[in-house]
Amino acid sequence: MANAMIKNRIRRLRFDHGEMTQEELASCVGCTRQTIIALEQGKYVPSITLAFQIARAFGVTLEEVFQYEEQKR
Amino acid sequence: MAPLQKRAWYGLVIGLVFAVALLLVFITRGDVTTFDEDLGFRMIVYALWVGGLVAYLIVMNLTLRKPGQIDERDRLILGRAPKIQLLAVIFSLAAWSIALTEVYWDQGQIPVIFATLMLISTLVVSTLAQSVGILIGYWRIARYG
Repeated sequence: MANAMIKNRIRRLRFDHGEMTQEELASCVGCTRQTIIALEQGKYVPSITLAFQIARAFGVTLEEVFQYEEQKR
Repeated sequence: MAPLQKRAWYGLVIGLVFAVALLLVFITRGDVTTFDEDLGFRMIVYALWVGGLVAYLIVMNLTLRKPGQIDERDRLILGRAPKIQLLAVIFSLAAWSIALTEVYWDQGQIPVIFATLMLISTLVVSTLAQSVGILIGYWRIARYG
């Protein structure tokens, strides 16, 4: 049985973008800092809208931020 | 801590304070018979629960109306909280129903004042359960994602 998992590179991309803070990213995409923390920890999978907004904030494509991984159990 | 989570803690504290205040009024001023006969006593109880409800609604509205205070994750958690609320209300009504039926079985009738008491306690339970549901939602997301 396959178990889907969404990974992301938000922490890395923040670092690459002049060490952007979680607060700056949050205000840029219109969410709370706690949601950015949850995303970075892999504790929350965003809506497609928020995912696009995050990718746009970094000026990259969606798949450069989020990766869909299928793990076989 | 997310703003909604903070407000849920405030809501829980306010709810508990008013629930304890209501219980204390009942303990110090008398019992259900006093409630039935004393208009002043009834007014104190009405003021307490209506005041508590208004205070809770103000606290929650302050969070929900401010821009940038809640986002999609908070809305998801907020949307799940009514499940806990519903369960709490059902259990509360079941407890009242069983207790009243058993206590007043022989008399064949239940004093009318219990209708008001059931409403007050159900509203208190419902507002407390909403806060608890929100806090459980944050805890679950932090733990299980």
